[in-house]
Amino acid sequence: MSWRGELNKFLSATYKNWIMSKRNVFTVFELIFWPFISLLSIGLLTRFLEVDESMVAFVLVGAIALSILQISQIDIAYILLFDLWSKSIKQTFVAPIRGYHLVLGAMLFGVIRGSAVFLLLAVASSRFFGFDFLAGGLVTIIVFLVGTFITAASIGMVVCISILLFGQRADVAAWSLSGIMMLVSGVYYPVEILPGPLQLLSKSIPLTYFLEYYRSAYGYGSHQVLLGMSLALLYFAVSLLILNLAIERARSTGMMLRLSE
Amino acid sequence: MPALRATKICKSFRGLFTKKEVLHEVSLSIEEGEIFGILGPNGAGKTTLMAIFSTLIRPDEGTLEVLGLDALRKTHAVRERINISSGNPNFPWSLTVRENLNHSAMLYGLYGRDLARSVDEAIAAFELEPHADSKFETLSTGTKQKVSLAKSILNRPKILFLDEPTSGLDPEMAMKTRALIQKIYEEQEITVVLTTHYMPEAEELCDRIAFLREGSLIALGTPGELKRALKIGHKMFVEYEGDLDPMKLCIIPGVMDVREFPGRVELVFDHSEMAVSRIIRAFEGADILDIGIDQPDLEDVFLELAR
Repeated sequence: MSWRGELNKFLSATYKNWIMSKRNVFTVFELIFWPFISLLSIGLLTRFLEVDESMVAFVLVGAIALSILQISQIDIAYILLFDLWSKSIKQTFVAPIRGYHLVLGAMLFGVIRGSAVFLLLAVASSRFFGFDFLAGGLVTIIVFLVGTFITAASIGMVVCISILLFGQRADVAAWSLSGIMMLVSGVYYPVEILPGPLQLLSKSIPLTYFLEYYRSAYGYGSHQVLLGMSLALLYFAVSLLILNLAIERARSTGMMLRLSE
Repeated sequence: MPALRATKICKSFRGLFTKKEVLHEVSLSIEEGEIFGILGPNGAGKTTLMAIFSTLIRPDEGTLEVLGLDALRKTHAVRERINISSGNPNFPWSLTVRENLNHSAMLYGLYGRDLARSVDEAIAAFELEPHADSKFETLSTGTKQKVSLAKSILNRPKILFLDEPTSGLDPEMAMKTRALIQKIYEEQEITVVLTTHYMPEAEELCDRIAFLREGSLIALGTPGELKRALKIGHKMFVEYEGDLDPMKLCIIPGVMDVREFPGRVELVFDHSEMAVSRIIRAFEGADILDIGIDQPDLEDVFLELAR
């Protein structure tokens, strides 16, 4: 197989996600409506509570990060979800394709969509709430985004793994996992206010570190972004490995056939 | 070298507290270049067997060799050389026919001009040009089936698996689909393995046939071999006026069954026993008004085996 053939296997997931997204109105809601509504609500809440500028930045960084995370993770989950809803999973898995082709291809589209959402929300928060999203410089933004995208990819893979192991009903994980992230990784508050065990859990979630990193540019304490990045890459590799095992298990249990019926 | 060799394939599906055996020690060999049919009643395990042959799912036990490769270990290499089309096919609903074929071609690692040419050829082969820019969800059942068949030839497979390719199609569309399968087979010189429970289809297309019942292979051979092995005879009806002693028919060598109705007799007989002239002679004293002979078909074989 030539490198161009191999590249096209990666791009097959990008291509499918792109067309499904541009044809379906719900993706417009995913990309613009809900992130924008969420940002405005949080921003207006900060106005009502009359918090200072640095606190506005703290909360808006969380709102932006959560939207990016949700958008990017769902793009990975769409590897299976679109096929699941169309009952076409077997069309994908009778082809000579591997888990990493699908994940990296979908991730590319997730990065594009996530970056677009970041830009939209950053500009909107600057315009409406005076949030200077470039305060930490371009490198800070890039590191924050890269870390968030890798974390999102792992969450998306967990959704895929759940579907392959437990069947169609597990697709609820696609919308639940980012909610759990919101609770424990300090999206809207410092993780220090969490109860002890949840604080421990928050330290195992890379998003916590990327939020701290971005917020450190606005004077909120120190950060351990290297630890966060290491964890994100570790989870990514482990998730990919487990995804491949889950694909093989679905072939053994017959789940692959049942998901197509 | 056979195109496919399966040995003692077993497969069970497990529920929380249940285990259902779907295939039990299925062994068969399919030669290169033949059209091989897998027949059986609903629930016989045909689709599961095709899913195993196409490496979509793994058997619990047994070995599978496809094009000389161990299909349980070298799955990736096998998938590059085969393809499958299923009855009642589904593809991502929002993609047009062309986009779905583009996507499938990408999954098989096609690119550039090869990809464009393969997709164009597949669209042309199945006369899909008028639907090329229609979304999959808007297509009729027959057109969806054509898309599935078009997808299955994109990578120029050496073995093509067709799982109930005419399922849900009206007779005219089913006939056209069979002609298209025959055309692909002749043009691309491939091995075709198909499942069906439509007997004339198997008889028209298949060189050899395997019958599955309740997950076990119960017969294998050419349509002629199966008919002979099961002693399924020709059918004859005679409409007559006058007197007839049915006992005269029953004692004719080769006559296997006689059913008598007012003015009509239906018989089953072994054609090789040269029984026809003797049967007609038994009607001396009566006027034959009408007579007809039907050759046994696979429907009869199927009914016999499905009992």
